[in-house]
Amino acid sequence: MMQLAKRVVRQTLNDKRSVMMILIAPLLILTLIYLLLGDTDYVPVIAVDEVTPPQVVMVLEKQELDVIELPNNVESAKAYLSSHPDVDAVFRADREGTDITLQEPSKKSSIAVKEIQAGLTSLNPAAKIATTYVHGSTDQSTFDSLGYVFLSLFSFFMVFVISAMAFVKERSDGTLERLLMTPIKRSEVILGYTVGYSFFAILQAILIVLYTVYILQMASNGNIFLVLLVLLLLATTAVLFGATISVFASSALQVVQLIPFTIIPQVFFSGLIALDLIPYHLGNLSYVMPIFYGASAIKEIMVYGNGFEEIWGYLLGLVGYIVVLYLINVLALKKFRNT
Amino acid sequence: MNIQVKETSKSFDQLEVIRDVDLTIMSGEICCLLGPSGSGKTTLIRLMIGAIAPSKGTVHIGETLMPNMKLLNDIGFMPQNNALYEDLTAEDNLNFFGSLYKLERQLLKQRIEEVLTIVDLTAHRHKRVQVFSGGMKKRLSLAISILHKPKVLFLDEPTVGIDPVLRREIWRQFHQIKQDGTTIVVSTHVMDEVIECDRAALIYNGALIEYDTVDNLLAKTETGRVEELFLLAADQQKGGDPR
Ligand SMILES: Nc1ncnc2c1ncn2[C@@H]1O[C@H](COP(=O)(O)OP(=O)(O)OP(=O)(O)O)[C@@H](O)[C@H]1O
Ligand SMILES: [Mg+2]
Repeated sequence: MMQLAKRVVRQTLNDKRSVMMILIAPLLILTLIYLLLGDTDYVPVIAVDEVTPPQVVMVLEKQELDVIELPNNVESAKAYLSSHPDVDAVFRADREGTDITLQEPSKKSSIAVKEIQAGLTSLNPAAKIATTYVHGSTDQSTFDSLGYVFLSLFSFFMVFVISAMAFVKERSDGTLERLLMTPIKRSEVILGYTVGYSFFAILQAILIVLYTVYILQMASNGNIFLVLLVLLLLATTAVLFGATISVFASSALQVVQLIPFTIIPQVFFSGLIALDLIPYHLGNLSYVMPIFYGASAIKEIMVYGNGFEEIWGYLLGLVGYIVVLYLINVLALKKFRNT
Repeated sequence: MNIQVKETSKSFDQLEVIRDVDLTIMSGEICCLLGPSGSGKTTLIRLMIGAIAPSKGTVHIGETLMPNMKLLNDIGFMPQNNALYEDLTAEDNLNFFGSLYKLERQLLKQRIEEVLTIVDLTAHRHKRVQVFSGGMKKRLSLAISILHKPKVLFLDEPTVGIDPVLRREIWRQFHQIKQDGTTIVVSTHVMDEVIECDRAALIYNGALIEYDTVDNLLAKTETGRVEELFLLAADQQKGGDPR
């Protein structure tokens, strides 16, 4: 068994692309996501209608806003915004109320609205709404609260692709048949593979976690070792999942073709979209997605600061997956040898 | 160990590829499987080692009903495609397959030296298989199959793409291996190689149409040339009297 694990490690090390894909690619993508979802110092541009009382304009100017004057020859705020894509909002306040016209529902717009609201409440402190979160804080970025989903996604995806391709190659090259014509047990073959890739999975998990927590400074309230354990279980599931999928693919290209069926649904049900927002109770589908268990466990640890008592259910889900997929794979090898 | 194939048939998706083959390969002989492309040589070999289960009939090696895992310790198999790990060096490939037979470390090391010499790859042992030529891959594949000194050796077209000089050397080795009591089953297209074998089995369209010592078979032909065995096969299959 260990000979096989060693061979898998050596073979993967010899293939620079696989190593990059397992170890470097997740860091690269996480960095990109961090930059995309992280805090921005964007200053929205708002055009203020001249009917707006000067004290209101004054408080707006105190906010992180670039306040300009709306030219008085514009016929409508919408027309003005359409022809001025660099202006985020048109603001107008008079006796009848306050109007904000925005370009489109986007992150820029929501920053503009947030800043405007902050300005207006400073005029009338009684209207101030204090927001506090049970988990996390108001100044956390989307990256802090959703980053855990990406952590589990990448860990799963990269390992899945590498393992599925390796198994497909092994089948089509005939090395699997040759391997099974030696006195090695079927269970040893699958176990050897799993252990071999788990070695990379551990490395990957350590790298990803250290990188996100210490370099990207993603907020983490919980025990990092628990996160590592979850990632390891998730990656092990990915190895076996890849091996299972390889039965249905006869080339590496077909593995890629199957991704819409294997990975994409998991992305949607991984926690990126709150499950009770998904219509027709489809959210329940997440219980058949391995990534859901990994992402949920990591969320419990990193966002809620929970420990083993709260996440054992998810861990059990992953272990269940591992056992079932392991047995499926050992049975699938019967095609080559039924002893 | 001898090999007994009894009334064995094999179908893939309703299509019968091996038809009712009865064949006993004698212990310690070199038996060659002759037949045109697609006739079922590879399938027959896979049936004999137990890589696929027969649809009908049985295969025994020695006293053991195949497929059997323990017996695989005594079997060497060189598949028609090379079945090597391209990302590993020649030596790593040998080390890996050798370790599956649980050979003792020192013995394995010594055997690796020996087989590398036999297939003349000692100078290339640290190269990755990826950069090997077709013939070098074939030789490495052969080296792996004889690494554990099997008692029964199955070779599926072992000398395709190997030059005449090395081919002669490899056949010398086969006879050497036979001296140790190993039974060798080899499929081939190369006519000169038939004469090197003790017996030949002619396979045509999945059926065994002739099985005899090579001398007897050649006596049946008019010119004494091996090619005629094939023509003989083609004629018999048509149901007609062979000339
Ligand atoms: N796994 C399989 N599924 C379906 N058909 C198969 C399979 N393996 C072999 N066959 C069919 O069985 C027949 C015999 O194939 P086989 O590979 O045994 O021929 P062969 O004598 O080894 O030919 P060659 O000399 O070209 O290697 C062919 O018609 C082939 O298409
Ligand atoms: Mg063949």
